[in-house]
Amino acid sequence: MNEAQRQQWLFAALTTGAVPAAPVPNAALSEAWLPEAALRETGARAARGLEAYRANAEGIAERALAATFPTVQAMLGVDDFGHLARAFRLAHPPERGDLGEWGDALPAWLEAHAGLAAWPWLGDCARLDFALHRCERAADAVPELESLRHLETDDPSRLRLLLPPGSAVLRSDWPLDAIHHAHRLAGDAAERAFAQVREKVAARHGETVFVVRHGWRAAVHGLDAPTADWLDALLAGADLERALACAGATFDFAAWLGTALRESWVKGVVASND
Amino acid sequence: MVAAAGRGASNVSTAPVAAVAPIGIGLRQPHYAALLEGAPPLGFVEVHSENFFADGGAALAVLHQARERYPVSLHGVGLALGSAAGLDAWHLDRLARLVERIEPARVSDHACFARAGVAPGAPVLHANDLLPLAFTDESLAIMVRNVTQVQERLGRPLLVENLSSYVSFADDAMSEPAFFVQLCARAGCGMLLDVNNLMVNALNAGVPDPLAACNAFVDALPHGIVGEIHVAGYCETRYETGDGATDTLVIDDHGSRVRPAVWSVCEHALRRFGALPTLVEWDTDLPAFDVLLGEALHAAALATALATALGALTTSRTVR
Repeated sequence: MNEAQRQQWLFAALTTGAVPAAPVPNAALSEAWLPEAALRETGARAARGLEAYRANAEGIAERALAATFPTVQAMLGVDDFGHLARAFRLAHPPERGDLGEWGDALPAWLEAHAGLAAWPWLGDCARLDFALHRCERAADAVPELESLRHLETDDPSRLRLLLPPGSAVLRSDWPLDAIHHAHRLAGDAAERAFAQVREKVAARHGETVFVVRHGWRAAVHGLDAPTADWLDALLAGADLERALACAGATFDFAAWLGTALRESWVKGVVASND
Repeated sequence: MVAAAGRGASNVSTAPVAAVAPIGIGLRQPHYAALLEGAPPLGFVEVHSENFFADGGAALAVLHQARERYPVSLHGVGLALGSAAGLDAWHLDRLARLVERIEPARVSDHACFARAGVAPGAPVLHANDLLPLAFTDESLAIMVRNVTQVQERLGRPLLVENLSSYVSFADDAMSEPAFFVQLCARAGCGMLLDVNNLMVNALNAGVPDPLAACNAFVDALPHGIVGEIHVAGYCETRYETGDGATDTLVIDDHGSRVRPAVWSVCEHALRRFGALPTLVEWDTDLPAFDVLLGEALHAAALATALATALGALTTSRTVR
């Protein structure tokens, strides 16, 4: 047995709930190297030592996912979220040593979870949590307001509007904005907000949202269809002319730009020959 | 003043003065505001490197503000220096970027593994934990290779911390101190000596005199090898042994005050190695910031008393 084999076996034994009979396709390893023989500790002491690692791995996973998916945790409750976090870790274990990078597979995993079929909006709520998390970790935008002069002088087909790093548009068949908003209220305001959510869910009212940084925090803004198409086009790198075409005739660019400048949604403008 | 020497130099005469170990605290998110608003006189602050790997955001901004006031030590928990699977290039790139941004006083991580491929063709996974190494020649070679790679990438030496571990290996070929002595000699790194981990391991090994065992570990390390000391709290957990009886496993949870015996080992280490930067770690069940500072003051009092005993601190000091 070499150290790579020892580590493969220990990794499986310590980070999963069960010790695999044959952790790697290596007959010599599985037959000749068993934990009781390799560990100095034996019996209940060895089992307790291994359990200490397993419990720590589960606790770390649960806390990391709770920090990234606060709305999902609030919807499920701490205990059920903890069970799901532990199951998710086994299904999609981290590949990085920075757990802030972990969790992008959770939304689809929640949607595929048979026990959660009664909450079909959960996956989109997880996508929104993750988008907010990514937005708050994104590079800090350095506004290039001087570049806005291009809007007055250049052909729109040569210009691209830059949004702050981490900005995203999320479309859902469910009232994503209302659900997110309701989970940030308390008391009577929360009750009223959840009543609205229930009405919108019953009506299958879909919502599209814009995620963008406000200072250090990421914020959620509800979008109408033309603005969503406009922002999607910008995020895809479309030039101004094409993005306006995507947004359609009802989109009011001047009004949007005023709001965007006030809210710091625009990082700057790039001309194709810059 | 938590760290008298180094920050109060203008109040000290030029006569020989015994150095006082700089005392630091582990900086965690709930204490960010208290640190920046209160600006306590600490010798340094230490953070977990991985918490600042993001491209931007509030945490990184806080770290930059802290860096304007204190030396910062970057302490990693994810390099997985003992992994036979090797290092994660992404992780090393992020660490290098952070080192460039922060210009830390020290960079450290652990003698552990955390990365492994558990199935053929599957991606290498990360345990996000400090998994124990066997003290074998092969483990040593892996550590030397990986530490060397990190140091070449960062262009600076690394400090490597000893673990508290809950299982150990029957085929260890050398003692833990001997493992570190060889690692430091071959890789050119230093050691971050966690004296709480020594105590946790001694207690879990059931040695008859844990304090003596910890001090013997310290005495087995040569001068010049240790670059920083950690102290922290631990907890005892009970478990069934199967015959109706129970036994205790000590967990290094960093969730309480430093135990008296751990302070004693810390004092022994400072006496042996001199005025090394000494960190109070508290990571779970975080207390009020003042409680953490109280632990730092305890460390400072210990360091000052040692300096006084060892040198002419009191006689040479002239307060203007």
